[in-house]
Formats: sequence, C-alpha cells, structure tokens
Amino acid sequence: MSVALAFEHVSFAYAGRPALADVSFAIAPGERVALLGRNGAGKSTLLRLVTGLLHPAAGTVRVGDWDAAARHPDELARRVGSLFQHADQQLFARTVADDVAFGPRVTGIPEPETAERVRRALESLGLLEVAAEHPYDLPPPWRKLAALAGALALEPMLLVLDEPTAGLDRRSRARVAEALAERADGGTALLVVTHDLGFAAETLERALVLEQGRLAGDAMLGPFLAEAKRLEGLGLMAPPLARLSQALGLPGGPVREGEVASALVQRCST
Amino acid sequence: MRALHPFTLIGIALALPALAWLLPSTWGGLAAMSLALTLCAATGGGTRFGVLRTALLTAAPFWFFLFLLHGVASMLTTAPRLTTMIASFLWLVAELPPARLVEAMVAAGWRASVAFLFSATLSAVPALRERAHRIVDAQRCRGLRTRGGPLTRIAALRALALPLVLSALHEVDERALALETRGFSGSVRRTPLAPPLDPMVERVFRWGLLLGCLGLLVWRVA
Amino acid sequence: MSALTFAGVTYRYPATLTPALADVTLTVERGEVVGVIGNTGAGASTLLLVAADLVPRVLGGALTGTVTRAGRCALLLPTPWTQASGMAFTVQDEVAFGPANLGWPRERIGAAVHRALERVDAVHLEMRDPATLSGGELQRVILAGILAMQPEVLLLDEPTAELDPGGALLVWRLVRELAAEGAAVVVATSDLDALPDAADRVVWLAGGRVRAVGESRVVLADEALWSDAEGGPGSTAVAGVWRRARLPGPPPLTVQEALERVP
Repeated sequence: MSVALAFEHVSFAYAGRPALADVSFAIAPGERVALLGRNGAGKSTLLRLVTGLLHPAAGTVRVGDWDAAARHPDELARRVGSLFQHADQQLFARTVADDVAFGPRVTGIPEPETAERVRRALESLGLLEVAAEHPYDLPPPWRKLAALAGALALEPMLLVLDEPTAGLDRRSRARVAEALAERADGGTALLVVTHDLGFAAETLERALVLEQGRLAGDAMLGPFLAEAKRLEGLGLMAPPLARLSQALGLPGGPVREGEVASALVQRCST
Repeated sequence: MRALHPFTLIGIALALPALAWLLPSTWGGLAAMSLALTLCAATGGGTRFGVLRTALLTAAPFWFFLFLLHGVASMLTTAPRLTTMIASFLWLVAELPPARLVEAMVAAGWRASVAFLFSATLSAVPALRERAHRIVDAQRCRGLRTRGGPLTRIAALRALALPLVLSALHEVDERALALETRGFSGSVRRTPLAPPLDPMVERVFRWGLLLGCLGLLVWRVA
Repeated sequence: MSALTFAGVTYRYPATLTPALADVTLTVERGEVVGVIGNTGAGASTLLLVAADLVPRVLGGALTGTVTRAGRCALLLPTPWTQASGMAFTVQDEVAFGPANLGWPRERIGAAVHRALERVDAVHLEMRDPATLSGGELQRVILAGILAMQPEVLLLDEPTAELDPGGALLVWRLVRELAAEGAAVVVATSDLDALPDAADRVVWLAGGRVRAVGESRVVLADEALWSDAEGGPGSTAVAGVWRRARLPGPPPLTVQEALERVP
C-alpha cells in the first residue's frame, strides 16, 4: 500500500462547534509525522477520526485502503495502534504482560505469536523486568509505557500516539524514541501529537500543524523549526537545539543532537 | 425543577420510595412508580428521555427475575417498589447538581466534608459514566468487540468493569489528597458562595411530605 | 526563619520497606525558586507531599526527622482532573473553592479569584464549566485555584506537563514573579531546559536521597547527571549537545550561554 493514512477534505464539528475544517494530507508507510498545534486546535479530534471513534461530517479518512468511516474501531485496531491521554486508566489485566497481550489476543493472533510480540514490545520499552507486576503497582509514567507497549504489540501499519513522552524521564524518553524509530524503519507510519518539540526534532521528520481546526502547515520538521516567527504565531516555540542551530547559522540547519554536535565540532575547530 | 431547594428535591426523592412501600401494595406501588418515572421523563438534566431509559433498563432485570423466581404476584408487589427507588435516585442525580447540594448543606450548618460525602455520591454516577466511556473507547481501539451477541458483550465486560473500578478506586485516594490541598480538611467554617433560596412554601411542602409519610406509617402499622 | 525546612527526613509509604525519602535535609527561603529533579521514582513527588503536610497525615506511612513551615503551603498535583473539586459550575466557582474552604469573607474571595485568573491568563474562561475544559486549560484553572489561596510556600509537581509551549512559558514567568513577591516556590519538573533561568537552586534526588544541591547553574553542569547508574536525569538539551560534541569545559546550559562560548 502506498498510503498509510489519508485525510481528504475532512471536516468535523461537535454539536455545532466546528473542530476540523477541510483537512487534507497523506502519510506514507514508514513516515514519521508530528501533529502540532496549541491546546484546542483539533489534534485530539483528528486522532479520534483516525481510530474510527468519530466519523467525519464531510470528506474521507483512509487507513491504507480502508475507509475508516465504514469500519468499527475494533476492526481498525488491526491496522491502527493508538495511545490516548489517560492511557494509564485503560489497564486491567493482572500482570503487565497480560495487559500488553490483550490487543493481539483479541484481534485473533495465535498464542505463540502473541507471546513473542509481547516480549518484543516490553523489551523495546525496558519493561521486561516489570512484566509480571500488577499494572497499578507501577508509577503512572510507567503505566503509560505499558499502554504504549500494548499498542506496539498490535504491530499495526500505523501508530497514532497522543503525548507519548509526557511525564517520562530522560531514559524512558530515549527508549520510546528508539522503539518508534525501529518501528518506522520496519515500515510503520507514525503520527504523534506532542508538545515536546525536542523529542519531535530528534525522532520525527515531518510536521502537520493545526490551528483552529485547519491545517496551517505541512512541512519537513527541520526547516519548519527554523521559522521562529511562524512558530510563535501558531503557539509553538522552537526547541533549544533548533534555536542554537539557527542563532549560530550552522550549515544545513541541523536540529538533531548528533548533527548539531558534529556541526559544533566543525565550528569550534576552525 | 432546578430552582427548587436541594433539600426539597431530596425530600421528594425519599418520599416517593417511602410511598411505594407504605401505600397498599400493587396499586400503591404502581402509582408511586408512575410518578417517579414521570419525573424521570420530565427531567431537564441528562439527555432527553435518557434518564427514563436508564431507569427502565436498570429496573428490567428485577422484573424479569422476580417473575421467573417468584411468580406474577410477587413481581407486581415488589418490582414497582424497587423501580421507584431506582427511578427516584436517578432523577435526583439528574436534577441536583452536587455544587448546589454542598452550598445548601453548608448554609444549613453542616461541615463541608460531610456535605462533600453526600454530593460525591451524586456526582459519582456521571463521573463514572464519563470514565466508562473513555475506557470503552480505549479498549475498542485495542480490538475489543462491543457489538455482537450476549457472549461477546459479557466477555467485553471484564475489559471494561475492571479498569473502571480499579482506576476509580485509585482516583479516590488521589482525590482525597487533592481536596486536602485545597483547604478541605475544614476545621474552619466554609464560606457559602451562593446559598440556594429556601422559600417558605418549600419548607412547608417538605414538612408536609414528612408528616404525610409518618401518618401513612402509623396508619399501616395500626 | 526559612520558609520551609527539612531536617534528616526519612519517609516510608505504608507497607513498603524501601524509604521513598532517605535522610533529606533542605532549606528553602522566601523569595527563592528551588527546582527538584530526578528520575521517575526518585522521590520528587513524595518530597512535595511531605512538604505540604499530606504525608504521613493523610496517606499514612512512617516519617522520621523534622519538617518546619513558616506559613501556608499549597500543592499543585500533576493530574489536574483529580484536583478539580467536581463541585463547581463555573471556573470562577472552581477557583473560589480553596478560599471558600479557608472561610474568607466573600469580597476577599472575589478579589483573590479575579487576580488569580488574571495571573494565569484564564479570565476568558471565567464562566466556562470546568468539565468542558481541555487538560491544559484545566491545569491553569487549578493553578489559579491554588494561587487564590495566597500561600506563602508554593509547591508545584510537574506544572507544565499538560501545557503547550505558550502555557509553559507563562508558568515559568509566573513562578519568578511569585518568588519576587516573597513566596517560596519548590518545583518538581522534568522540563530541565527551563531551570537555569527559572530556578535559583536545584536539588537532585536519586533513590530518595539528595544527590546534589546548590545553585542551579552549578548543579545542572554536573557530569554525573548523565550517568544512568547514578540515577541521573540528564541536564538541558544544550548541555547535552555540548557533551555529545565532546567540547571542553563545563557545558553551557542555555542557548544564550552557548552563543557566548562558540566563535
């Protein structure tokens, strides 16, 4: 499939209050996309449209070759792995491993394959050591990681995540970044809502920006983060490394830590 | 209805089940039940007829099992009474905002923490419902099938009931803590911000209800 | 007298063997902003709960050592939805919840509420139903509710977690303003980039112990912060990239400082 997710002139309103207006974009398999915008711009609504919890009032949402409005959320779960806010409230199994296994089991994956997927997902997020613990014995940030592991275990073609790094410490953030990068390399498309632009700059490549329900920007993340005025107008702020890169005029405008570091070394040795 | 004093609303919600139990059975129970269900249908709170629907759906199993286990006579005696209780409570939850109840109780001299206990019972239903919706949505997006036959639905319950209860209980802990942070421990008298009006008419009505029920009780016992 | 003092405080949650805080000694003065950093589970939230006199009083557990406070402490939890009273029709009532519980006269409450809403830039939300607010808006309203109580010591647990960058900026600016007005502010945060400018001092907690405490610029330049073995939460992004480039000297912490160091 050449397209993982496509929005074609999608509009949606909550009881008269417009939430999304004429939004169109397409995401290819393996693409890593950040969904940005200030609070209330329509990001959560967009995610709910992708997972089939809401149906567009106008336009079409396509997940692969499926029309999302023609499917129920539990069917779409075979293709879309999701992480919502308050994900820590959805856990219910007796052990973390059992909870992560819920998705694969319920979508009909045979047992040995499920166990393997669970192990992979837990390992990529550093949760193997707590696999046998009760989910509510974990601190809330780790419960969120367990919920993310559940989405990863579905091994979907598209991951839609709402603030996956909020409240996580540096080590956990790095694990999430690695796990997502690994999936994207394997062909999974990523759509991540995040306020953490540092994380976005490091892990994602493209930015979709919502402002009052409209798509106000669709650009590669690097160059986008260099436009300070534009960011400000959208309620965003460039992360420190992007600002540093801009201020020093580093060649190529790098925003990732590794690239900025190399450019700095070059600059300081001349 | 919203304009009525909270104590009046509570009075009605308590009087209806009392009437259902105190009036001669079958016709008495059915009369009280009809009143309660009418209130549910007329309430401004909640979605149109949503409250009525919830009351009927909640009460239905009782009718079914009473008929099955004890026969028509028992069903007609007890089921209307149970339905009245359910309907009255749901009506009260829909009509009485917890904030107004707290204001009324505090203005009447109750301690804020006690007032909160009562109002928390009222707000528990809508709060739990909202949480349940959120959990259902999350589980559906993990592949949980919620349509289909009764067996599917029963299997779905576990993925819904457990996180609902677990997270709600967990939150009670956090909420108690959070309220403490907002000065709630209340050795100090809380300032009423907008105490509801309590006209003489309503006070008389409430006493009337109380005396009426007591009178009925005496008459039934004698 | 200091606004808040911990002297050799050790605390265990009920039915746990490992202490959540071990031998913590710390002083916070009026007019000072102290940042608390550390990995998940290092004890930052617990420290704030102890400071707010919520543990062991409400949650139980065992506390040794002494805590002294010079005035009213108010705590902002990282989860605004649990902190909402659930008993307010409007944002105005929600913010008034705290002051009403303190028994203030109505005029005083009205003034305090309005001022608090102004400070968090939420006056436009005044008549909204708190249940319809987004996570970020609610976080601001709850913060206003805490400010309206006019505490001497302000304890904030991840105050910017739910906020967009604009909201986060507002909170850090507000924190400095409040300190300038004489409050003592203690903030537990994972937003390390904000700390060099927002905090006067920083406390690094690891495994419930104070691993380092001092001027923010000194503590945040510590190489040990980058060690996983030590339970280090890392430091600012600029410090990180300086370290990655293996450039000499203590790392700059902010973009501004880096610009001064690079040719």
